Order: sequence, then structure tokens, then C-alpha cells
Amino acid sequence: MSDTAAPRRVIPIVEVVEDSLYEVRRKVYPRAVTGTFANWRWALVWFTQILYYGLCWMPWNGRQAVLFHLVERKFYIFGLVLWPQDVFFLAVLLIISAFSLFLFTAVAGRLWCGYACPQTVYTEIFLWVEKFFQGDRAQRMRRDTARWTAENATRRFAKYFTWAAISLWTGFTFVGYFSPMSELVDSVLTWHVGPWELFWILFYGGSTYMGAGVMREQVCKYMCPYARFQSVMFDADTLVITYDTERGEARGGRKKGLVTRDIAHATGMGDCVDCSICVQVCPTGIDIRNGLQYECIGCGACIDACDQVMEKMEYPKGLIRYSTQNALAKHWQLNDIVKHVIRPRILIYSALLVSVSLAFIWGLASKPELRVDVSRDRASLAREVEGGLVENVYRLHVMNVSETTRRYAISVSGLAGIDLLGERIIEVPATSAQSTTLRVRAPVDGKHGAQVIYFDVKSLAEERIKVHEKASFIQP
Amino acid sequence: MRDILIRDISVVLWPAFLVGGIAEGLFFTVINPQELYLFGHPVTYSPLATYSIGFFAFWALCAASSWLTSYLLRSAEDVNRKPSVGDDETKAK
Ligand code: SF4
Ligand code: SF4
Repeated sequence: MSDTAAPRRVIPIVEVVEDSLYEVRRKVYPRAVTGTFANWRWALVWFTQILYYGLCWMPWNGRQAVLFHLVERKFYIFGLVLWPQDVFFLAVLLIISAFSLFLFTAVAGRLWCGYACPQTVYTEIFLWVEKFFQGDRAQRMRRDTARWTAENATRRFAKYFTWAAISLWTGFTFVGYFSPMSELVDSVLTWHVGPWELFWILFYGGSTYMGAGVMREQVCKYMCPYARFQSVMFDADTLVITYDTERGEARGGRKKGLVTRDIAHATGMGDCVDCSICVQVCPTGIDIRNGLQYECIGCGACIDACDQVMEKMEYPKGLIRYSTQNALAKHWQLNDIVKHVIRPRILIYSALLVSVSLAFIWGLASKPELRVDVSRDRASLAREVEGGLVENVYRLHVMNVSETTRRYAISVSGLAGIDLLGERIIEVPATSAQSTTLRVRAPVDGKHGAQVIYFDVKSLAEERIKVHEKASFIQP
Repeated sequence: MRDILIRDISVVLWPAFLVGGIAEGLFFTVINPQELYLFGHPVTYSPLATYSIGFFAFWALCAASSWLTSYLLRSAEDVNRKPSVGDDETKAK
């Protein structure tokens, strides 16, 4: 064509940087630590796990003490039996747990994360297994990069195998809370585990393995919703794990014995000897010296580690410690911190917690021991029968919520000459329900349509246990 | 593309799992699996099977919604990067 033609337009395209959404994960090799907080954590590991692995085996009134029986649709928690009608109690229990969590977090940070969360607890157990077979941090790091040898492979395999065994047992225990342990054990012993039971054992076991063995701190960093929103419960008076920057900086290595603390201070050095042990022990791989970070699960491992270093240096302990933002900034002592525990946020959380708990207790105390559902039998219509009578058919669902088998008398009232045909006594075993079909007859009275009648169900043994239930009687 | 795929899998499936679990709990608290009807016939699976299938159904539904959100959230860059019209120009740069 002509040479006046516009040159081919070149659209500059900005180079797209292939930026991964997630940072590349450096594998964290937490170094084992001993000390006060480590002891607390182990105490809680024992406590929660004895509870978890043990409670499902405990008998109570001839049944499993704690069982969320999905097939029967009943939750047994010791003497408390919750039916689907009691969903209110479950909701309130959840609210109570939520408010407790808020309260604890506002007072002392992520206590839950550091000591009681299953993610922490199983990671702790798995790390112990790892250390048992593959050694502590430095050894593990070496072994991970070393060439494959028979010994390394055996150690690794032994670790995986132990992890798998713990996970499997955890999954089995989990399912034992939802379908009765006795049946589950029988089915395992006779090799007849139901497909869904087996599926959920493997599913929960697999999750345990993945969470505690593979993903570890990533669960806290990327998956846990609580880790993201815990900051809204924090304020400047919340106890958190902090590094005393003023005291620690400027950090720097030094030879003990050659440089006394006074000399170090005179030359502008702080107490931190920059040994990086606090970073090595951290299960989430952060450096607490950079300040409070959302990745910090408040486990206290860095406190234990740093205290040991301080002890060796013959410096006072507590360079890293539980403290509050205000306390650090204003150089408060312990009693100032304690005084500031009582503040509006704490009072509000406590007031809510107390009132919801009271409501819960009140609800439990006034929980009825007997429930009755009446429904008109949809299959049979109201009809006239011999003797100038009208017959309606009802289904009574009698729920005995108590722990003893009871016999109840059934009667009907509300219309002149009304009466029932058939069984008037019903026996219902403890914590179960029984249905009965009742034919009710009353004289034809010329008024058409629905009329109100009442069913009375009374315990034969205890007068006070009774239900007065409304129903409608149709005159054709 | 691989990044987007991994992101989708983790941010779609995980929240869907949490919400699916809550939905499952609420649904089966008020509805007895034995009273359900499937295409006009009473459900005959074992309760545990019904609960499990229900959970996966909720999970799948929630995942569909999460995935749609993440799909619509895709940046212009992500969309443009798709090899389609003008692909050769991109390469000619
Ligand atoms: S910074 Fe300290 S308290 Fe926080 S997670 Fe790491 S070791 Fe635990
Ligand atoms: S453990 Fe203590 S002394 Fe060592 S680097 Fe950490 S803060 Fe400094």
C-alpha cells in the first residue's frame, strides 16, 4: 500500500510478574525447648488427650458417658441428654465457648492457640516423635539434606509409621464419639466396619496427619479464622509475648566473662546476645524481636529459650516475657498490669459470659422430664361411627427425657362425653420415645369444624411429671 | 495458570469446608434424615450415609459459590493473561 500507512501500532504490554500469591514456604524446624511454658504445654497435652482418648470409653448409666449419637439423634453428655428439641442448649453452649474465648484472649492473648488447640497439641506430639527418631533441629536439618542412607531412610520411615498409627487411633476415637464405641469395636474386631465409619476414621486421621505432620504452622497462618480475627479482641492492656526492645537493643554477640553486663551497657549494647535461639524454637518460624505479629501463637517457647540464655549469661530473666503494650511503654510493674486487667472490655465480656451461663443453668434446671407431641393421623379422616359418635385418630409421641423407665397414664378431655379407645397406659424406657395411636370418640354435637380438646399424660409414679397438650377434634 | 489453580483449590475448598460443616449441622438439627424424600421416595440409606452425603453436598455447593467469587475477583491481569485474542501480539513484544 502507500507508505503513509500508519506503522503497526505496538501496544506496550507490561511484563507480568509471575508473582505467587503465597510466599514460598521455608520449612520450619522447631528446636525442642524446656522450661516453665513448655511444661505447661505438655501438661495440657496430657490433660486434653487423656480426656479425648479416654472419655469415649467411659460408661455412665449403662451407656457411653459422652456420645453424640447421630443415628438416634441424641447427644449424651454424662447425665445430660439432648434431643433435637434441645438445640437451644447446644447453641447456648457454643455462645458460652465463644465468649470464654473472647475473654481469655482479651486478658492474656492466644492462650487457646498456645496450649489447648488440637493443631498445637498434635503438632507437639508429632514433633516429639520426630525428635525421637530424627534428632533435634540441627540433626534434622542435616539429615534432610544429606544423601539417602539406609539409616536415614529407616528413621524417616519409623517416624511416618508412628505418625500414621497415632493419626489412625485419633480418627478411630473421633468416630467413637458419634457412633457407639462398643459397636465400633465389635465391627473392627469382626472386620465389618461400615463404609462410612471407615471413611470418617480415615478422613479425620488423614487430617490429623496432614495438620500436625505436614502443614503445621501453615494451618495457623493461612487456614485458621481465629488467628485472623483475634486481633480485634486485643488492646494495649492485653498480655502478650513481647521482646523488651529497650532492654535488648542494641543486640550483639559477646563473650561471656570477657564483657560484663556493665561494660556491654556502657558501650551501648543491650542484653540480647543475638544467639537467635528464640527464632529457632519458634514453631511458626518468626522472630519475636520484630514485635507482635499475627503469626505468633503465644506458645511461650521463645520465653523459655531466652530465659535459659539469660541464665547462662547471668543476666536477669525476662528479656522476652508476658507483658502488655502499655506496661512496656510506661515501665509498669506486675501490680500495675494486674490493676489494668479490669477495664470496660473485660467487664463487658465477663458480664455477657456470666449472664449467658446463668441462662444456661436456668434452662437446664427447668428442662422438662417429659415431652409429648400430638398430631392428628393424616391417613384417617374424622368419621361418624355407630352410636352417634365421631371418631378422630391421633398419634402421640411420648418422650421420656429422664434417666428412669416410666409408665404414663393418658386421658383426654375438653368435650362432653369424649373418651378414648384402646391402651391408656404407656411405658417408655429411660431417655427414649414411644409412639402410640389413639382413637378418640365424642358425640355428634351439630357444630361442624375443629374443636379444642386436651390430652393429659401423667407419670404414674410421680405426680408432678405431667403434660397437658392441646389438639383439635374435627366434627365432619 | 498453575498458581491460580493452587490458589483456587485452597481458598475455595477450605472456606467451603467450614461453611459446609455449619450448614450440615444446622440442617440436620432440624431435619431428621429418616424423614427425607428423594424423588418422591423415602430415603432408605443408613443415617450415617445420609449425613455424610449431605455433608458433601453442602461442601460442594459452598465450594461452587466460593469458586464463583474467586473467579469474579480475578484481576484484569489474570484475565488478560489467558491465551486468547491478541495472543500473538503479546508474544511479538
Ligand atoms: S514468637 Fe514465641 S510465643 Fe510466638 S509463636 Fe514463636 S515461639 Fe511461640
Ligand atoms: S533468645 Fe534472647 S538473647 Fe537470644 S536472640 Fe532471642 S532475644 Fe536475643
